[in-house]
Amino acid sequence: MVEPENTRLGKMLLDEITPVVMVLRTPLVEESCRKNGLSFIEMLSPFCNFNNIDVPVRTASDHPYRLRKFKLRLFYASEIRQMNSEVAKDRLKQVVTHAGDRDISELCSDPPAIETIVATSELEIVPSWFQTFNKQLVDAVSFSEHESFDHPVACLVAVSSKDQEHIDKLVDLFDTNQLPSLLNDGAMDPKILKYFLLVHDNQDDILEKSTGILTEMRSTFGAHDCRMLCINSSVDGSEEHHENPWASYRNNALHKKQFGCFINVDDIEELKTTMQDLSSKHIIPHMELKIRVLNQQVSATRKGFRNQIKNLWWRKGKEDVPDNPNGTMYTFSSIESQIRVLGDYAFMLQDYELALSNYKLISTDYKLDKAWKRYAGVQEMMGLAYFMLDQSRKDAEYCMENAFSTYLKIGSGGVRNAVRCGLWWAEMLKARDQYKDAADVFFRISVEEPLHSAVMVEQASYCYLLSTPIMLRKYGFHLVLSGDLYKKCDQIKHAIRTYRGALVVFKGTAWGHIRDHVHFHIGKWSAFLGMYDEAIKHMLEVLACGHQSRAFQELFLKDFLRIIQETGKTFEVLRLQLPVINFALTKVVFEDHRTYASSAAASVRESLWRSLEEDMVPSLSVIKSNWLEIQSKVLPKKYKESNVCVAGEAIRVDVGFRNPLQIPISISNVSLVCEHSTESDETVSNASSSLINYQNDTELRTVSVSGDFSLDTPFFTLSEVGTSIQGGTSILVQLTVTPKTEGTLKVVGVRWKLSGSVVGIHNFNADVTRKKVARGNRKLKQSIKNKLEFLVIQSIPRLEGVIKNLPRTVYAGDLRRLTLELKNPSTVSVKNLKMRVSHPRFINIADQEAMDLEFPNCLKKHANSSESYNHVDCAKAPNSVFVFPETTSISADTPLVWPLWFRAAAGGSVSLCITIYYEMEDKTAVITYRTLRMYYNLEVLPSLEMSFKISPCPSRLQEFLVRMDVINKTSSESFRIHQLSCVGDQWELTLLHTVDSVFPLEYLIAGQALSCFFKLKKCQTRVTTEDNLSSLVTSARADVRLGDSDSRLFDTSISPLILFHHHERLLQEKLQQEHQSTIDFILMSESQNESESGQPRSSEILSHHTCHCRIASTSPIRWLMDGPRTLRHDFSTAFCEINLRITVYNSSEDHLSVRINTVDSTPTVIPVSSAASVSGNEEGWHDLSHLSDIKLTSDLMRSKVGKALSFESVSSFVWSGSSSTRFKIEPLSSAEVPLQVCVFSPGTFDLSNYSLHWNVLASGEGGDDEAGSRVTSSGTCQGHSYHITVLQKD
Amino acid sequence: MIVCVAVVGHQNNPLYIQSFTEADDALKLHHIVHCSLDVVDERVNNPKRSGPTLNETYLGVLYPTENYKVYGYLTNTKVKLIMVTTDLDVRDADVRNFYRGFHAAYVNAVSNPFHVPGKKITSKTFAEKVSTIVKSFG
Repeated sequence: MVEPENTRLGKMLLDEITPVVMVLRTPLVEESCRKNGLSFIEMLSPFCNFNNIDVPVRTASDHPYRLRKFKLRLFYASEIRQMNSEVAKDRLKQVVTHAGDRDISELCSDPPAIETIVATSELEIVPSWFQTFNKQLVDAVSFSEHESFDHPVACLVAVSSKDQEHIDKLVDLFDTNQLPSLLNDGAMDPKILKYFLLVHDNQDDILEKSTGILTEMRSTFGAHDCRMLCINSSVDGSEEHHENPWASYRNNALHKKQFGCFINVDDIEELKTTMQDLSSKHIIPHMELKIRVLNQQVSATRKGFRNQIKNLWWRKGKEDVPDNPNGTMYTFSSIESQIRVLGDYAFMLQDYELALSNYKLISTDYKLDKAWKRYAGVQEMMGLAYFMLDQSRKDAEYCMENAFSTYLKIGSGGVRNAVRCGLWWAEMLKARDQYKDAADVFFRISVEEPLHSAVMVEQASYCYLLSTPIMLRKYGFHLVLSGDLYKKCDQIKHAIRTYRGALVVFKGTAWGHIRDHVHFHIGKWSAFLGMYDEAIKHMLEVLACGHQSRAFQELFLKDFLRIIQETGKTFEVLRLQLPVINFALTKVVFEDHRTYASSAAASVRESLWRSLEEDMVPSLSVIKSNWLEIQSKVLPKKYKESNVCVAGEAIRVDVGFRNPLQIPISISNVSLVCEHSTESDETVSNASSSLINYQNDTELRTVSVSGDFSLDTPFFTLSEVGTSIQGGTSILVQLTVTPKTEGTLKVVGVRWKLSGSVVGIHNFNADVTRKKVARGNRKLKQSIKNKLEFLVIQSIPRLEGVIKNLPRTVYAGDLRRLTLELKNPSTVSVKNLKMRVSHPRFINIADQEAMDLEFPNCLKKHANSSESYNHVDCAKAPNSVFVFPETTSISADTPLVWPLWFRAAAGGSVSLCITIYYEMEDKTAVITYRTLRMYYNLEVLPSLEMSFKISPCPSRLQEFLVRMDVINKTSSESFRIHQLSCVGDQWELTLLHTVDSVFPLEYLIAGQALSCFFKLKKCQTRVTTEDNLSSLVTSARADVRLGDSDSRLFDTSISPLILFHHHERLLQEKLQQEHQSTIDFILMSESQNESESGQPRSSEILSHHTCHCRIASTSPIRWLMDGPRTLRHDFSTAFCEINLRITVYNSSEDHLSVRINTVDSTPTVIPVSSAASVSGNEEGWHDLSHLSDIKLTSDLMRSKVGKALSFESVSSFVWSGSSSTRFKIEPLSSAEVPLQVCVFSPGTFDLSNYSLHWNVLASGEGGDDEAGSRVTSSGTCQGHSYHITVLQKD
Repeated sequence: MIVCVAVVGHQNNPLYIQSFTEADDALKLHHIVHCSLDVVDERVNNPKRSGPTLNETYLGVLYPTENYKVYGYLTNTKVKLIMVTTDLDVRDADVRNFYRGFHAAYVNAVSNPFHVPGKKITSKTFAEKVSTIVKSFG
C-alpha cells in the first residue's frame, strides 16, 4: 500500500488544501514583474512549493513533528471569491476543446490492439488533460464561505521601490472596501496576518533608496513583517535558466520572450528565501498559535461531559430554526466556525487526527442545525482526513458518500461541490484499487450538463479498463456513451476519439449491431471534420450489413455515397464489400483448340466433350511429339503449362456478385482487370497502361477522374457490364477480355463501380492466396493461378457453326430434316472436317443429296420402288465419326451447308452435343487442329404411346394376332395415324377390320386411346437368325395403311427411317432380354395442327418404333394337331383307326425335349370349364369363320360328351401306339409326331386327353451340374380340344 | 415487463437477441446485454463461489441500470441467458421460473440436428416459444 501522501489524491490534497495567501500590490510592482513576462503571483508561485521545508510544528499536542511538504496558494484579493458558474463553464469548455485540438493527429492512426491497451499503465491510457479538467472543476468551488481552508491565512502587501509615499500606499492597499467579501461579511476573521514586501527593481532604482524605504517601513509595521525583494538584477535580459521555474506558464503566454529573462541566479535565491521566510517564520507559527488558542477555547466550551450535555440542551432548544442551507448564522466568532477553522488549520498543517476530532465534533452540530452545506463540507473533510490517516476505509467511504449525497440534496447550489466531492471520492477509491467503485462514482458525478458528463463517463470507462478483473465491455459501453455526450456538445474530435477507443472492444466480435453503430458514427463524424479517408475506411466496414434492418441499410448506403460525393473524387477500394463476390471464379472459358459455338456449349462438362472427341482428335502422345517438334523453338518452356488462347478471341470469366442488403444496388462499369506482357522481353513488364500494381496493400486509392481506366488498350479489349442487383439476390456477370496481340495475358481481378461513385476492385490472386492459407492445398493454388494466365498466340481460323431450324420443343417421334451451317470468317482455310454426334438416336448425318430432296415426300414409296436405297450402309455404325468428303472446304464467304436428320427419339429434356473437328491449312500455327463444340438442349414432349401384344393363333402355327394399343399422350395435339409397318421381309401384316371401322375419326385427338388388331403371318417358314438381323429390308407386304387411302405409304427401308430404326433397335435390345424370334413395328403418323397464322402447316412426320415384340406366351412350345375332322367308317367290320399328326414348334432358343402322353382313362383331370374356356368367346381372338362353323355342333356335343363321360366308365376311343413319345426339338424349329386313335363307335369325340411335357435341355456340358435349373425350366401343357366326328358308314 | 432476452454463447458471441419493445432501442439493449457479460464473467470467476452456489445456474441480478434490471443465468455449457426487465421489484422465484422455461426452450433449439453449435439460433419455433414465455412473465 502506498502512503496516502504519495497517492494521487494525497498529492492533490497537499496541493489544494493549503494556506491561502492574499496578495495586494501596487501597479508598479506588477509593471516590474511584467518585464519578465510574468505577473507578480506568477513570479512568486514556483517558490511557494516546498518539497522539504523541514519545519518543526507543534499543534495541540505537546509533541512537535516536522513538516516536509508545504505549499502556499497565492491569490490576488480580487480573485478571492467564488467563481461565476458561467465563467467556470467556459473555462472547462476551453480545456476540453484545447485537448481535443491537440490530439487530432492521433485520430487517423490505427487504434492499438486490445492486448496492448490492457498491458499499458494507467498514465498512458488516460489522457493527461483529465487532471487539468478535474482541477478546474475543483477550483470552481473554491472560496466557499463554509470551508475555512480557502480563507486567506495571511496577506502579502507589496509596494514597489518606485512608488511614492510607501507607507500610505501600504495602508491604502489594505482598504477594506476592496477586500474580498469573505473578510467583510464576517465569514472570517478580518484580523489577518500581514506581511509587507518592498519590491526593488534593480534596473530602475538604486539599492540605497530602497533600503531607506525598507527602514521606514520596518519602523512603521514592525521589523519582522517587512522585507525587501530585489528583482531584475540582470542587465541585458538574456538570462538563461537551466530549469526554468516558470516553464509551466508557457501555455498561457503568447509572446516569445523567455520568462524571467531579467532575473538572475541571485534574484531567484532571494525569491526562494523570501517565500521560505514568509511560510516558515510567519505563516506556520501563526497557524500553530491559532490552533492552540482555538483548541483551548474549544476544550473549554465543548469538550467534557458537562459541555456536551449543555450543548445538546442548547441545540435542542433551537429545533424550530428553519432550514438554512447557507448557514449565514455562523460568523467567524461563533464556536462552530472556530471549530471548523481549527480543523482546517490542523488539516493544512497535516495534523489529521486533530482535524478529524474537530470535524467529528462539529458535524453533529451542523446536522442538528440542518446546515446541510456545512454538514456536507465537514463530512467531506472527515473522509479526506480518514484517508490521509489511512484508517477505517469504510468510514472514509461512508463520509464521502454522505457528503456527496448531502450536497446533491441541497439542490443547484451544491452540485458543484458534489462534483468536487465526487472527484475526491473517486480518486480515493482509485488510490485503493477499487476501480470499479470509482467508475460508479464517476458515473454518478455525471449529472449535470453533457460536457461534464462526457468527461466523467469517459473517466469511468478508463476505470473499468483498469479494474481487475478487467471489464472491457463496460469500458466500451461507457466510451460510446461519452462519445454520444461529446457529440451533443459539438466536441466531435473527442467523440471520434472515444468511439475509436470503443472500437477496439467491438472489433472482431460477433456483436455486429454495436460494431456497425460505432463504425458508422466514426465515419460520419470523420467526414464532418473533413477526414474523408478515415471516414470512408470506416463506412466501408458497415456497408455489407446484411443483418441490419432495411432502414439502416439505406441510411448507411446513403451516407456513404454522400461522403463520397463530398470528397468530389472517385475512390478505388480494394476490398469493397458491396456487392459481395460470391465465388471469385465461377468459370473461366477460353478457347484454345477447343472452340464453342455458344456459351451453353462452354458450360457442358469437359469430360463429356473429351469422350466425344476421343477418336477424332489426334491422340495426346502424337500431338505432343508433333507439337514439340514444331513449337519447341517458339514457346518457352514455362508457357507449356499455361493456358493457350488465340488473339482476337475472347476469354470469358464468370463472376458471381451477391447483394447482401435488402435494398437494390446498382453496379456499373463491371470489367476485368488484366495484365498483358509481350513475349519479347522475358521480364514481365506491365506493358499495359491501364495496369495497376495492386500487390502493395493500398486499401484505398484516389483516382482523380474515372477516365483513368480505359477499356480499350493496344493489347486487349475489355467488356463492360452494368446491372442492378435486387436485395438478397445473386447474379452472375459474364465478363470478357479479348487479347489483341501475342504475349501473356493475365487476368488480375475484377473492378466495378458502385452507384456510379466508388470503384471496387477485387483481386483474384489475393483470393487465391487466402484460400491457400486456409486449406494449405498447394495443388489447388497452382491450378487456379494457371487458370488466370494465358499465353496469347497469333490468330488462327475459327469455325462458326449453327444448326438451323432446330426446334426448342418437339413431340416425341418427330422426324425432321435440319441443316448444319459452318462458316469460316478467316481467310485461312481449314481441312479434314470430321463430325460426331453424342446422340445418334436423335441426330443422324444425312447425305449431301438429301439437301435437295423434298421432305417429307422423299420418304414415301415411289411407284417404281427402286431397291437402291435398300441396303443402306449400316456400317455407318452408331457413334462413329462422320468424315466430310475431302472436297468440302469452307472459305470465308461460302458457308458449308450439310443436312442432318433429326428424330425426337425419347421424351424429356435432351442435351445434344455435336463436335466438329478441323485442321488448319497453315502448318506453322501453334495449334494445328481445333474442334467446334455445339450444344443444343431441347424438350421432347410425349406424343403417341403404343404397345403391342402378340398372341399365337391356336389353329395355325405361323399366324399371330397382334393387338396394337395407341394412346395420344399430348394435351392438345391430334395426330393422324398413317401406317404401321413391321420390319423384316418374312412377315405379312393385315388389318383384321376395315380401316373405317378402326378409325371412325381421321385423327387421334388428345387423350384418345385406340386399339386395333392385325393378323401377322410368317410367309417363310424358316428364316435364319442371321438374315433377320443383318438385312433390315422390308417388303411392301409388311406395311398396313391406316390413314386415308390416297397418300402414298412411307418407305421404312430408306435412309433416315432405317437408320433411326437401327438405333432404336440397338437401344431397346439393351433394355430387353436377348430374344431372337421378335418383331419390330414402326408406326408412322402425322400431326397436322394449325399454325399461328391459321394456315395448315406442312405436316410433321412422326415415327414410333417398337422393337423386339414377342409372342405373349408362357410356354416355349406351340403345337397343332392335324388330322381328319369328319370321317365315315363301317363299325360293323372293325374299329376305326384314325391317324393324326401333332406338329410341335419350339419358339424358344433352347433345345427342348418334349414328351407326349396320351391318357386313355376318363379324363377327369380336365374340368369342364377348361374345355369351355377353350371353345368359348373369352379369349381375345378367334378365327371367325371357323368359329361360326363349329359353334352349333360344339355346344351340342360338349354337353353330350360330358354326360357320357360321367357315367360311362369305358371311353369309346383309345389311343393306340405308344402312350408316351419323347423327342427333341431344335430351337425355332418344329417336329411332327404321328399319333393314332382307335374309335369303337360312331360319335363325336374330344381328343384332348393328352398332355405335352417339355424340358429344356442344357445346351452345354454345364447343364449336368446345375440340376436345379433344369428342373425349373420344364412344364406340362394339356392338350387342346380336338373334335373328331366318326359316322357309321352306310 | 421484459424488454429483452438474449442467448450468448460461451465465447461471448450473441446467439439470439430479441427485444420486446416498441421503441427503436435495439442498440441500447444490445449494449446492456453486452455489458452484462462483464458482470457474468466477474461472478463466474469469483473464487469465493463455493458450496451450494457452485452449481447454481441462476446468477440473479447482474446489475441495475437506471430503468432496467438485468438478470443472468449460466448453463453448464457456459451459455449465458440474459434477461432485461423494466420491473424493478420482481420476485426471485418468478425469474427462476422464467429461466427454467427459457433454458428448456434453448435446449430444444440446439437439439435440432440442423442447428450448428456456436451459430445464431434461427429457429422460428424457438422465437415463438421465447415470446410466449416472455408474455406470460409478470
